[in-house]
Amino acid sequence: MTVGAGNPRTSAEGGHDVVIDVDNLRMIYPAPKPGALPTVAVDGVSFQVGRGEIFGFLGPNGAGKTTTISILTTLLQPTAGHARVEGIDVGTRPNDVRRKLGLVFQRSTADEELTGRENMAIQAGLYGHSGTSVDRRVTELLVQMDLGSVGDRLVKTYSGGMRRRLELAVGMVHDPKLLFLDEPTLGLDPQGRAGFWRYIRTLRGSEGVTVFMTTHYLDEADQLCDRIAVIDRGKIVATGTPKELKDGIGGDTLEVAVAPGAADLSPLLTPMPGVKAVSRREDSYRVKCTNGEQLIPKVVLAAEQAGISVRGVTVAKPTLDEVFLELTGHAYREEGESPKEDRSGGNGGGSDQGRRP
Amino acid sequence: MMLPMASLIRREYLRWIRAPTWVISGLMSPILYLLLFGQAFNLGKLLPPGTPASALSQVLSGAPNYFSYFAVGMVAFASVTAAMFSGTGIIFDKQLGILQRILSTPISRRSVFLSSLVFRGMLTLIPAFLVVGFALLLADVPGVAGLTVSSGVTVLDSVQFLAAALVLSVAFTALFLSFGFAAQRIESYFGVVTILQLPILLTSNAMYPTSIMPTWLQYLVGFNPISLAVNIMRMSLFGTAGYPYSAGIYFAGLLAWAVLFVGLALLLASRALRTNPAASPTGSALSQAIAE
Ligand SMILES: Nc1ncnc2c1ncn2[C@@H]1O[C@H](COP(=O)(O)OP(=O)(O)O)[C@@H](O)[C@H]1O
Ligand SMILES: [Mg+2]
Repeated sequence: MTVGAGNPRTSAEGGHDVVIDVDNLRMIYPAPKPGALPTVAVDGVSFQVGRGEIFGFLGPNGAGKTTTISILTTLLQPTAGHARVEGIDVGTRPNDVRRKLGLVFQRSTADEELTGRENMAIQAGLYGHSGTSVDRRVTELLVQMDLGSVGDRLVKTYSGGMRRRLELAVGMVHDPKLLFLDEPTLGLDPQGRAGFWRYIRTLRGSEGVTVFMTTHYLDEADQLCDRIAVIDRGKIVATGTPKELKDGIGGDTLEVAVAPGAADLSPLLTPMPGVKAVSRREDSYRVKCTNGEQLIPKVVLAAEQAGISVRGVTVAKPTLDEVFLELTGHAYREEGESPKEDRSGGNGGGSDQGRRP
Repeated sequence: MMLPMASLIRREYLRWIRAPTWVISGLMSPILYLLLFGQAFNLGKLLPPGTPASALSQVLSGAPNYFSYFAVGMVAFASVTAAMFSGTGIIFDKQLGILQRILSTPISRRSVFLSSLVFRGMLTLIPAFLVVGFALLLADVPGVAGLTVSSGVTVLDSVQFLAAALVLSVAFTALFLSFGFAAQRIESYFGVVTILQLPILLTSNAMYPTSIMPTWLQYLVGFNPISLAVNIMRMSLFGTAGYPYSAGIYFAGLLAWAVLFVGLALLLASRALRTNPAASPTGSALSQAIAE
């Protein structure tokens, strides 16, 4: 099911300028041992990302985000399907694709025994860049990432936030026009995340960089990304702008609290204009509707007339949380609630979410 | 395309220079061998008094005394022992995700392997040089046996000595590096190394002359790359008398081993660097079975 516009924004010239084009991608990890089940990590995923977009891949742990990003960055051959980056097939011409992109991994991959500056210079060398232009770029990025004063310290003395920012600086050192970020703000404090969002917006704005990022933070997807694909258990359940997704599930939720023991309000609420569904939990009602604010006086009036005393009414605009619940039929699990990620492959064919029929 | 390789070599160098444990692991064992084993295990003393020095020298393929004979063996011993640690770095890089990051850049897979081979190969030569230097120094210490070379050693002989040491280093560095690329965990790596260590070192002529061994062992020892290199190195320092073959033949044999080990390593490394579970035969068969 696709909600909202599935296509990237059109470029200024009026034509589609597709940077990432993914067609029916599948990735099945072989069973870790005989008898265990293989894991279907990515299950027929298709989407497109336009130039200059910040595209978010939103899903809970184990949804298949890292696997998708690994395929797009040539680190993994898909079981089936195709992916093109800047028009180049990632499977057949991986080295040309590698030149086009910068990648920031989910976990820290900097060399602990080296300084931040050395890590960046060596990464630049791997892309064939050296000399004073690299020195300048490194210094500039260190300052931008707020690492100016620690650039010459060994990475093993860095704090978690510094490491995250260094990862980004290392991924940017060769000046890529396409950035892949795998959970870039994982473990950052709110301040660090806000700073990161600011930086990503600047990048897109001033340098026209296209950003493909994964996240399992709903608010991050909501506030930072131009468009989102919601992925759950290897499948994309929706694609669109955050607003489209939220509008797509049918608007507001009215919470109506009544006095304990009052008569049932549902028969009065259901026929009201704009109301889509009513559910009752003891003395409170959840009313799904298209026009929350307009409905409030009608609800209060109808209840008074029926002799039911209303204790309070709140109107809630939809969140991606609800989008997720609506689309997948199960609640979104934030970090901490989900089982620990197991990369050792020791948990048989089971995914984090027990991906089984 | 030298710059990406140079970057990786620089990275390994910086890591190495900041982790001084190599001083202990790399230096201690050859020096202990020279000081304790080499001094105590003096074959010359076992001969009856009055035996002419030339008789001993004949057994020792031209070396003036047992210590000199032994010291050259220790040069090979030290570099092969050092090479046994060559594969550890790549395992940590794998576990820390650093290798994945390197592989996401346009550097060629072969360059990743070759840069390790070049740097680690050079590293294994350091203990070899230190053994030579230390053994030569001991010759000037009264009451202690030292390395004495024949007076006719030319520049060409020295080059020959160095070439043998270099090829031996590269061969074993490649071999152990390839185990590092193949292994997922440091335990399994050292498991393999432990199994191979003694057979490789003990079936060589590094410590005792081939002539005192049973015939079947002599064959084994004759083909061992360490023996081949040690033969060349002893010929360089003590003369070629008493050897059934020329240094060129030994060198050809040593090179053959090096080509074999480097080839094997390239194969194992490129297989490991594919980082692709679906590419393994079992993987793709399974995926197909699922897809149907
Ligand atoms: N190398 C692997 N071998 C086997 N299974 C894996 C491997 N990597 C990930 N998985 C499984 O694939 C599924 C998707 O994982 P991943 O792409 O890492 O999800 P996410 O990044 O969204 O948390 C999970 O069930 C995970 O356990
Ligand atoms: Mg992930």
